[in-house]
Amino acid sequence: MFKNYFKIAFRNLWRHRLFSFLNILGLTVGMTACFLIFTYVNFETSYDNFHSKSDRIYRIVADLKTPTEVINGSGPSWAVAPHITEFPEVETAIRVMQNVILFKKGNVKFNEPEALFADPDFFTTFDFPLVKGDSKTVLTEPLSIVLSETLAKKYFGDEEPMGKTILLTGDQLPATVTGIMKDFPENSQIKGNVVVSMTTITKKFNARLNDQWANYSPYAYVLLKPGTDAIAFEKKLPGFLEKWNGKEMDQLQMYPTLFLEPMKDVYLRSTRGGFVTGNIKNVYIFSIIGFFIICIASINFINLTTARSAERAKEVGIRKVIGARKTQLVLQFIGESIIICMIAFILTIGLIALLNNSFNDLSGKVVSTGIFNNLQYVFYLLLVALGIGLLAGIYPAFILSSFKPVTVLKGRFATGANGNLLRKSLVVSQFAISTALVIGTIVVYAQMSFMRNQDLGFKKDQVLVIETNGDSGAKALKETLKGLANVNQVSLSGSVPATGNPSAYSEIENIKGELQKANLDLFFVDFDYIPLYKMEVVAGRAFSRDFMTDTTQAMVLNEAAVKMFGYTSSEQAIGKEFKQWGREGKIVGVIKDFHFQSLQQPIKPLTMRIEQGNMDYLSVSLNTSNLQSTLATIEKAYQKNIPNRPYSYYFLDEFFDRQYKSEEKFGTLFLNFSLLAIFISCLGLLGLASYSTMQRTKEIGVRKVLGASVPNILNLLSKDFLKLVAMSFLVAVPVSAYFMHKWLNDFAYRINLSWWVFALAMLIALTVAFLTIMFQTLKAATTNPTKSLRTE
Amino acid sequence: MNSMIKIKDLEKYYRTEEVQTVALNKLTFDVKEGEFVAIMGPSGCGKSTLLNIIGLLDDPDGGSFIFNGIEVAGFNERKRADLRKHNIGFVFQSFNLIDELTVYENVELPLIYTGVKPADRKKRVEEVLEKMQIMHRRNHFPQQLSGGQQQRVAVARAVVNNPKLILADEPTGNLDSSNGNDVMQLLTELNDQGTTVIMVTHSEHDAKYSHRIIRMLDGHKVTEDILV
Repeated sequence: MFKNYFKIAFRNLWRHRLFSFLNILGLTVGMTACFLIFTYVNFETSYDNFHSKSDRIYRIVADLKTPTEVINGSGPSWAVAPHITEFPEVETAIRVMQNVILFKKGNVKFNEPEALFADPDFFTTFDFPLVKGDSKTVLTEPLSIVLSETLAKKYFGDEEPMGKTILLTGDQLPATVTGIMKDFPENSQIKGNVVVSMTTITKKFNARLNDQWANYSPYAYVLLKPGTDAIAFEKKLPGFLEKWNGKEMDQLQMYPTLFLEPMKDVYLRSTRGGFVTGNIKNVYIFSIIGFFIICIASINFINLTTARSAERAKEVGIRKVIGARKTQLVLQFIGESIIICMIAFILTIGLIALLNNSFNDLSGKVVSTGIFNNLQYVFYLLLVALGIGLLAGIYPAFILSSFKPVTVLKGRFATGANGNLLRKSLVVSQFAISTALVIGTIVVYAQMSFMRNQDLGFKKDQVLVIETNGDSGAKALKETLKGLANVNQVSLSGSVPATGNPSAYSEIENIKGELQKANLDLFFVDFDYIPLYKMEVVAGRAFSRDFMTDTTQAMVLNEAAVKMFGYTSSEQAIGKEFKQWGREGKIVGVIKDFHFQSLQQPIKPLTMRIEQGNMDYLSVSLNTSNLQSTLATIEKAYQKNIPNRPYSYYFLDEFFDRQYKSEEKFGTLFLNFSLLAIFISCLGLLGLASYSTMQRTKEIGVRKVLGASVPNILNLLSKDFLKLVAMSFLVAVPVSAYFMHKWLNDFAYRINLSWWVFALAMLIALTVAFLTIMFQTLKAATTNPTKSLRTE
Repeated sequence: MNSMIKIKDLEKYYRTEEVQTVALNKLTFDVKEGEFVAIMGPSGCGKSTLLNIIGLLDDPDGGSFIFNGIEVAGFNERKRADLRKHNIGFVFQSFNLIDELTVYENVELPLIYTGVKPADRKKRVEEVLEKMQIMHRRNHFPQQLSGGQQQRVAVARAVVNNPKLILADEPTGNLDSSNGNDVMQLLTELNDQGTTVIMVTHSEHDAKYSHRIIRMLDGHKVTEDILV
């Protein structure tokens, strides 16, 4: 009997090649998209799962309450980790800090941007396996370094690296290679390719760091002993801080609170940043899209199968007459549906294997090493295919098998109103999903474009930024560059927009005349900084060489800082007192707010002061004529003035936009999956349109004989479908508006959801739907009526 | 001879929202084993409805229908299907072959549903195809055959299970006279071998092959002509 079913199934597939093709293609594309999304979601949720103790590892984070605000910080103070081990619940506590370190071996110099400093228990707490070296001791001594296998190869080639020396930060610090570690897995939240012992800092450079409770910087992790209740433990931490730091807290009016974040939640759920951060919302969004895409593909299947039920009705009738039971027929049709899904499954495997690398490129990370490396995935996919075959096959199977032979064999069969209604509802849901995705895509892209084109409040075009890393040759380089023909201005600073900046505990005279304490962002700049970046001075003045005291006693605020201290106009702040990191003086100017962070962040209160040291960036405003030769000249000047460091530079506009890399990846993925959803919906529409025109061949003929024109017929055939697409819009708008509004809430500066977004989405959906059905309808409308009538 | 079919006061109505049409109106008649009965009457007189009820494809709304001594009116679909597949073969005006199956596979299908083993199936299908003189076309699909050949295949399919009863609904309606005569000849031969045949027809010529003609009008029997 099964042989018979197979025969019928394959012959049916072959006979109705267009429908089979549409069905299988839709399912293949749907399952491929869904699987790729699954690998992405699976990868995103797998971060830090590989640590065998990840259930017991927590990141210690701190909220810092100051008189003006509560700062949600990512790391506690330097002293927390060394002291928290006093609790019997704590097995180990580690600080980890990422830094750019200049490495030198022989004549080869590299800036290693992913260098980590870590406490000795780093390798016993986390599962970063060592290829060489003892995990208990590799980081004990100052100036010990553990290289990743890749980095060991880079510096030592085939030479044995263990015990060899690499010079850190130029020529000064000889560090010994004490271990070689496997490269960190891609799904590690902690990113690094070399680990330097934290004792290098705490023993050699600043022995007091381990006792500094008000100095916040590195990330800290704690491994709790098995069976420890983390929540109960967390409740002990306020007492711990009070005991060690109570007096200082009162004195500084800075009150930290410590929290524990489960290691596995840091990447996706923490809002406090990290080495790399994901976004659980994106994971949810993609999971929903994946589910929707598979629904759309299954809907196609149901629609195309039930639409064609009239053709199968006769077969059902005959089978029943000669003795088939309803259950036998149900099994037959479900079986057929599973066969189609199995064909789609095989094609999907092939397509996934083909697309693996492109998808990794698209998502910006190696989310999958290939489907054949994960055979359990093949099995999951098989289950999904069987599931779709079963679920999508059940409805048509029951419809078909319940036909009455008496009716269908008489040819009196007509597709029921119920079936039509169902098909229409399904088309509406498909297009509602697709239109919602189109709206989502438009919003994501509009927001990206808004962020790129927003006036940031400073000049970011034609500004070259050279990383000088505080090198003593930077000042001489600045002087050299000032004399170049195509260089307009040059400025040396501790920060440029988007690089990050320190924050300083400051006291500033407020509207009431009191010195008010606050933790404020701080830019170290020189006299040329404000003019070079064309920042607008709204009150007072910019720093000026005409005032000798500006180098030691002057501060410039932004408007946000002015508001923070209660002033209603910028002028009111001029001449007011400040104290900050050992410096006292007066506010000399207020600049208009500018975006020194990405547009996801609100503009925070900022202070600027003239500084001599800690100047890591040289900004160069350029004329773009002869750009190549100017860049070459600048590089030569760099090599001459800063010979010990590799030349590293970027254009500020590109660098600033790089902050939106993850949003851009999100947008690209969103766009691609939306296109797929629309594509699959259109396959279904194409199938239904061709079926419907086929059914109405006689009607078209009669209408043409009676004088209907081609546009009349086109209108007749298209309007039913276009009505459905228009109806889907009514469903799509509120749903997508709700979700996109939530998504936009993550951005401090965002677009409004205006009517044009929805109008454009509707236009796109209607156009795509119209073009899809036009081919079929045009063919029917231009057919000679004698032909259409002859089919009767 | 024993009665194979005993029908008494059989009723069937078709209802739409506003109108109720009587298809069978207190119809009573018997068919004996081995009989060849023709049912005639104008379109809409209820003859096809009657055939569907006898063929257990449809349920009567009233009256009694005894098949081989068993009251079958009120049987559920499953019981009807079981009874049907072992006892009744059908021949239709429009042949009703499955287009996706070959001649051989079409004829084989009833044997599959009655659970006959593959080796026996092959033997029986081949036997019946030989008998219907259509063996040379065994691997063809229905569309590749003439109308006469298709009806031969349909008859082969109807008899492959050795049913006690063959129901033929206008079996020559789609055929030319020569092919029509061949099909009538086939039915007569089957009847001669003991199979009961009930045939609905408009053709007086075809009806003459039967033993008895029941003439119907508006859902009931008007006359009965005994030919043999």
